[in-house]
Amino acid sequence: MYSFIPWLLQLLFIPAFAPLCIGLTRKIKAKFQNRQGASIWQPYLDLWKLFHKDEIISEDASWVFRFAPYLVFGVTLAIGASLPLLSTLTRLPTGDFLGIVYLIALGTFFLALSGVDTGGGFGGFGGSREMLVSSLTEGGLILSLFTLALIAKSTNLFSISAVMLAVPSFAIIPAVLAFISFCISMLAESSRYPFDNPATHLELTMIHEAMILEYSGKRLALMEWAAANKYLIFISLAVNLFYPAGLATTLGLGSLLIAFGALTIKVAVLCAGVATLESSIAKLRIFRLPDLLFTSFIISLIAISIIA
Amino acid sequence: MGSTSQFLFILEALVFLPIVLIHLTKKNTNAVWLYLIQSAAVSSLLLISSFDKISFLLLVSLGSTILVKIFVAPWFFFRLIKRHHLKFSASTQLNTPITLFVIAAILYLNQTVLSGAFATFSSSDPNLLLISSAGIFISLFILINRRGVLSQMLGILSLENCIVTFAIFAGLEQNPGLQFGIIFDILIWIIIANVFASMIYNHFGSLDVTEMKKLTE
Repeated sequence: MYSFIPWLLQLLFIPAFAPLCIGLTRKIKAKFQNRQGASIWQPYLDLWKLFHKDEIISEDASWVFRFAPYLVFGVTLAIGASLPLLSTLTRLPTGDFLGIVYLIALGTFFLALSGVDTGGGFGGFGGSREMLVSSLTEGGLILSLFTLALIAKSTNLFSISAVMLAVPSFAIIPAVLAFISFCISMLAESSRYPFDNPATHLELTMIHEAMILEYSGKRLALMEWAAANKYLIFISLAVNLFYPAGLATTLGLGSLLIAFGALTIKVAVLCAGVATLESSIAKLRIFRLPDLLFTSFIISLIAISIIA
Repeated sequence: MGSTSQFLFILEALVFLPIVLIHLTKKNTNAVWLYLIQSAAVSSLLLISSFDKISFLLLVSLGSTILVKIFVAPWFFFRLIKRHHLKFSASTQLNTPITLFVIAAILYLNQTVLSGAFATFSSSDPNLLLISSAGIFISLFILINRRGVLSQMLGILSLENCIVTFAIFAGLEQNPGLQFGIIFDILIWIIIANVFASMIYNHFGSLDVTEMKKLTE
């Protein structure tokens, strides 16, 4: 039996807090660069501004270009509502990890397609690079989650979280290795360093920004919001699958509040971790990316070898 | 009991994961730090063991282990790195993905071939023994795969740490006198290896073993 309130909270959590997550990461990066930086609420103001602007759509754009922002944003909402964010008891049938991975792939496919659709050079190479990175990321992502599925003997994310709450002793080393692999996949999927530089529009470096370059106004707002949602989805998955401490095992108000507090702290810590990593490493050349993604894949294989 | 077992697995993770990360790291300093973490975990395992047996001599042996593995060995390595500007050592025989693939294969073979044999050990969890034995084989692979002398020296010391871990979990610990002798041997080995590495560097201008082609000179 599904409980409606935790599900509704989950549905709202990702879109409500995703821009804050981006703002926090940017703020920490600014501090590392000895800058004051924009307020952590700036992404909300940016979205507000974009939603109130007119948009220009190319004459060559097809329905794919017009429709893609809604689909990409909708996919992130569907995924956000299917994750074990606050409780292990919600147990939605959409919480299967393979379903989540393929929903992510669906969003990526339409994102790349929308970049190519208008026929611009930037959109074309952005889409091409995105498909290269996402196809190579999928292996590492699936295997890192599969490691947890083997430990929990279930592919449902809620069941995995419940098992990882009292992590079995034999699973500690595989879980740590799977976490390393998942983090590499997380950085690739959410277009962060060393795969992509979300702060620039340089022809040589951009992947995600190249695909959404033709968008403006409300559709650009949706695309930016969807990218922020995806970032928070991966961070939430990382913290609540690999270290689900604080996750509610009952549906009482107190437990849910504790779970919310724990999730907020864990997400903030991981955001700080991403910002620190981004401030301490350089972006990799595009032809070095497959090596790193293959490394993520093999680290997961090592984790599975230990369990097997 | 459950929390003790979990603590042992966490310490074993701190012994095993640095070996994999030594394979991945490109900086010699990082490799030394990883060895230090591994040695600290091994020392903690020895501490638990000495408390179990309530032996003063074991505690003295543990003190000498901490002195040699946590203070003396890293100090020698950092000194070597600083003196010869050996900050980076990216050279390996195999590239990173293939290296990791070989590690995965070693782990798979270790789990399938040795799991039956270790099931007969009643003193400890067979999973701990399997991870320790995997650590031994992966440390040996560091010796084969790395081209830098410093990484190879760390590989030997990591191998020794894994053998100690295996002995603790298998209940094969020796008397404190013998342990003291072993740690003295390791100290002498570290000093000789460092002097030898410095001599190699002065003669060949590099610690990359593939550069040492004219050994008769």
